[in-house]
Amino acid sequence: MSTPSLADFADEARAFLDAHATPRASDGAVVWGEGPDRVTYFSDEPFEVEQANVQAARDWQRTRFENGFGWITGPKQYGGRELSIAHDLVYDGLEAGYDVPDTGVISLIGLGMIAPTMLAHARPEINEQYLPAMFRGDAIACQLFSEPNAGSDLANVQTKAVRDGDDWVLNGQKVWTSGAQHAQLGMAVCRTNTSVPKHKGITTFLIDMSWEGVDVRPLRQMSGGAEFNEVYLDDVRVPDTHRMGEVDDGWRVTMTTLLNERASVGGEGAGPATRPTSRANLLAMLKATGRDTDGGVRRDFARVIADQAATEYLTSQMMRRARAGDLPGPEASVGKLMFGQNLTRIAHLAAEMTGPRMLADTGDWGTFSWNELLLGTPAFRILGGTEEIMKNILGERVLGLPKEPA
Amino acid sequence: MSVVPEQISASDLADLRSSLRGLLTSASDEEAVRAVVESETGYDEKLYDRLATELGLHSLALPTPYGEGYGMEVLSVVLGELGRFVVPGPFFSTVVLAAGALVASGDQAAMEKHLPGIAAGSTVATLAVIEPDGHWRHEGFTVTAERSGDGWSLSGTKAIVPDLLSAGVVLVAASTPEGDALFAVDTATAGVERTALRTLDITRRIGRLDLDDASGTLVGAPGTLTDLLDAVLDRATTALAAEQVGGAEACLEMAVGYAKVREQFGRRIGSFQAVKHKCADMFARIELARAAATEAARAIDGRDDAPPAGEAAAVAHSVCSEAFMFVAMETIQVHGGIGFTWEHPAHLYFRRAKADQLMFGGPATYYERLLERLGVTNETSTK
Ligand SMILES: Cc1cc2nc3c(=O)[nH]c(=O)nc-3n(C[C@H](O)[C@H](O)[C@H](O)COP(=O)(O)OP(=O)(O)OC[C@H]3O[C@@H](n4cnc5c(N)ncnc54)[C@H](O)[C@@H]3O)c2cc1C
Repeated sequence: MSTPSLADFADEARAFLDAHATPRASDGAVVWGEGPDRVTYFSDEPFEVEQANVQAARDWQRTRFENGFGWITGPKQYGGRELSIAHDLVYDGLEAGYDVPDTGVISLIGLGMIAPTMLAHARPEINEQYLPAMFRGDAIACQLFSEPNAGSDLANVQTKAVRDGDDWVLNGQKVWTSGAQHAQLGMAVCRTNTSVPKHKGITTFLIDMSWEGVDVRPLRQMSGGAEFNEVYLDDVRVPDTHRMGEVDDGWRVTMTTLLNERASVGGEGAGPATRPTSRANLLAMLKATGRDTDGGVRRDFARVIADQAATEYLTSQMMRRARAGDLPGPEASVGKLMFGQNLTRIAHLAAEMTGPRMLADTGDWGTFSWNELLLGTPAFRILGGTEEIMKNILGERVLGLPKEPA
Repeated sequence: MSVVPEQISASDLADLRSSLRGLLTSASDEEAVRAVVESETGYDEKLYDRLATELGLHSLALPTPYGEGYGMEVLSVVLGELGRFVVPGPFFSTVVLAAGALVASGDQAAMEKHLPGIAAGSTVATLAVIEPDGHWRHEGFTVTAERSGDGWSLSGTKAIVPDLLSAGVVLVAASTPEGDALFAVDTATAGVERTALRTLDITRRIGRLDLDDASGTLVGAPGTLTDLLDAVLDRATTALAAEQVGGAEACLEMAVGYAKVREQFGRRIGSFQAVKHKCADMFARIELARAAATEAARAIDGRDDAPPAGEAAAVAHSVCSEAFMFVAMETIQVHGGIGFTWEHPAHLYFRRAKADQLMFGGPATYYERLLERLGVTNETSTK
């Protein structure tokens, strides 16, 4: 079958969406006081509610997959359509007009970072075994990278992988693992050689989270919920087939994941807080709170909006270039940097507009609910590489400044 | 009314950029800039002429039949390079401000009279808006115009007029009994007095214009000036944004170049994180500024998927003004003492950055304009 034109593909996507989802009531127009009063990236819902949300995400991902929209750009042998990024963007654009479950828990890490790493570095039979399941929503994947002593200095990982016949035996502790409580798969970055410089003794493995010796313990975040975890690996046996890349060459594999992470964190403004933090909503809020007559608030507001708009322009230009086949390099870190800063400033701006009504839940729509976002903002300046690390990357890899002496 | 300008390919834009950069690298290097700012006119008239006649830059973005009919995306490339080399001269005043106003007026006779000379590089022109109170405004001028015979007579003062002394014609915003209007005044006319002023930006001359019953020609119709200036300002701030990005890029290159070679404490200063992160911050602000300038140019050119022009232009003016000023300041810091010397080029950019930021009113004005463009009117304002 030949590649459908973008127009034909859009027709097909619209037909699918009409059959399986309801169009959004208002097409983007914001009416202050209407719609769900949630402003969140990190949920503080009870576990049962969160699990129901995850199930809804899985169901919607399966519906997409079964109808040919689960992996638009993926290879056919793994259930993809082998269409272009442009087709993918067309679908995303159309889907945004419908009320569908947020599938971030599946897509951000598993489909967005780990799947591309697998395509580049895992064996075909492993990809056959897991990729269709991931894109069908059956297998959520998590990133077992950080450890208590390996955060920014990720290459310092201590989790040991020791060869034993056709298997490897893993021992160690991972931390801050987002989504491990829902995950079926994990990508673990392990130490396989201690007698070489740290970057050269790392090997990466895919592990099944249900295997013997994998123990997930939730950690509660400052925002209230428990979406990240400690993961203990205690004599976990991993077949050598589950190794990605060569032995001791895992740093290269890890970089594939991180590059995808940095491009996606700063990338398209998808996510549950997109609507409340949109310019339209903030403008409505400025008027609704009556702060539009306050000169100080006006100035703060304009400064934030200007940077937010410019960041959107930057992202859309990157997407346009990506559509033309020009993929982002390390300069994509600017997007991640700005995303964290803008979100932080927006949360504080919202607080300035609501004033004391953010102190307690008075029941007023669009006031106390901003706390959920506010309390989540510090994370965006940490996860996926802290601001300092992003600036090191920009300084060294983009501007070519000398590294720090060891 | 607006015609979507001819699209030009990315590779043609890159060719234009590199040929202009090649020319300016030899014809307008730092030494040349320093020499011409000391000269009588303050700019290199031969170079100005070459830009018009050899490269055809003046006519690129003028509508046909006066020019090539290209849009702001093309003009932005030109301004980016002029900004990068802080090239002195009345290109911005003539091609962006004056020609922009003439085109926006839709006045065929005025266009026929002035655009051919502007396109050829033989007519230097400018736009006079700011009065002695220092505000950039689009209505309520103290300069007045009255009918006199079959023409008009103008009186009053425009306090800050870019490139006034080299201009042959100045477009003056004035109030008339029939509403605010724009007038073309020949600077050689009786009743026109021009005074050169000392300037913050030594690469851009400014003059005061005193009019005492000077005769002028009406451009467009009385009562349409506010809309006309709104349109001119969107184009001008978008063009300025491109110039600001060019200037900021030159600063960052200087700062990074220096941080790679200057040694203190036995290591190159660029290896100190405090310095490296300053450079990374500059880079991030420039990326954002470039995105804003590019998007505003696409919006002005009416591209399908671009945001509304008024909004994008206001975003670009805010973001690029802040970015250039920030980068120009940090560049001096990265250089230390040498960066504070007259001999170092950093101050040329610092001066340009502040002047650009204030040219159309300054931060208070541009942030309010952005809000206004987004529909948040200012009930507390006294304008
Ligand atoms: C919400 C959230 C979700 C996360 N999800 C995951 C996940 O799913 N999987 C996973 O593996 N990890 C995850 N992380 C971990 C994250 O990647 C790390 O927290 C991050 O890389 C920082 O490491 P650290 O916490 O050890 O801090 P540290 O590295 O100890 O940093 C502490 C401070 O020191 C600074 N610093 C460190 N090194 C340098 C340097 N060279 N130069 C200048 N400053 C420096 C940092 O910038 C920071 O300010 C998550 C984190 C958060 C907050």
